[in-house]
Amino acid sequence: MIIAEQKPLSEIKELVASAEQVLVLGCGTCVTVCFAGGDREAQIVASSLRMSTKLDKQPKQVDHVTVQRQCEWEYLDQVSEQIEAVDIVLSLGCGIGVQAVAEHFPNTWVVPGLNTTFLGLPVEQGVWDERCAACGDCVLGLTGGICPIARCSKSLLNGPCGGSEDGHCEISPDTPCAWQLIYDRLSSKGRLEVLMDLQPPKNWSTSRDGGPRKIVREDLRLVDQKEEN
Amino acid sequence: MEGDCHYLEGNLNARRRVEYIGQLLDQIGLDRQRLKMINISAAMGNEFAQHAVEFTNQITELGPNPLTHVQGEDSKEKTR
Repeated sequence: MIIAEQKPLSEIKELVASAEQVLVLGCGTCVTVCFAGGDREAQIVASSLRMSTKLDKQPKQVDHVTVQRQCEWEYLDQVSEQIEAVDIVLSLGCGIGVQAVAEHFPNTWVVPGLNTTFLGLPVEQGVWDERCAACGDCVLGLTGGICPIARCSKSLLNGPCGGSEDGHCEISPDTPCAWQLIYDRLSSKGRLEVLMDLQPPKNWSTSRDGGPRKIVREDLRLVDQKEEN
Repeated sequence: MEGDCHYLEGNLNARRRVEYIGQLLDQIGLDRQRLKMINISAAMGNEFAQHAVEFTNQITELGPNPLTHVQGEDSKEKTR
């Protein structure tokens, strides 16, 4: 899932400083699960903003609403009246949600309440780790299901660098060496021969190096939307 | 007592959450000294009374809730 964390209240206050009416827009999907921007967090941020701006003697009208997903038009349409009625929308969605609001409501000023951080998972309650870099050309089949792109600090493809020590990465003793994990996993599966296949330089054009990415599935498109685009 | 909770590690979890709320109160502009957590058992009536008196004195020193004394505004933050 997409992992994010809330911006400090001081930064959020600066982002909404020019508004009298603010709508805190929560998202019911990824950022709900990582406790950053779901309905509960939207309520807390809205309440905090009301109290804090009141103490500053510049009280704002701050309401909140949460949609199932900010990154789909049909869910945003459900709250269009509320969005269009305020001066600023404070989106507690990921960066995709913020941009979806901006794109779908051209007359609305939207600002982010979160810092979108990475694609990962909760390894325990309250702890999230990065797992995927969305490179667009998955190599997990070559590495025993452990990603060297996201989890090796140098995104190496053919084994560890000299900074691997006792299974840890040189950047931090809290960061496991991805290639140690890969070696241990392949070893436990009796598949170490996989490592003998050298990987050529990766084609990064499928990642961010190729610019903004797009997927088009002609089998799924609707005729009227094809004509629009 | 801390770590000795009917709900096992419940009061240890609560302590971390109270610390988080304290940070939030500071960010909002309300003094985190208005919030305090103590661990006490049902059999410690005197200690409870002592803590209650001490905390009452502490928040009395801090003065009234500033949110109820902002001119021209609703007296209380609505519960939503």
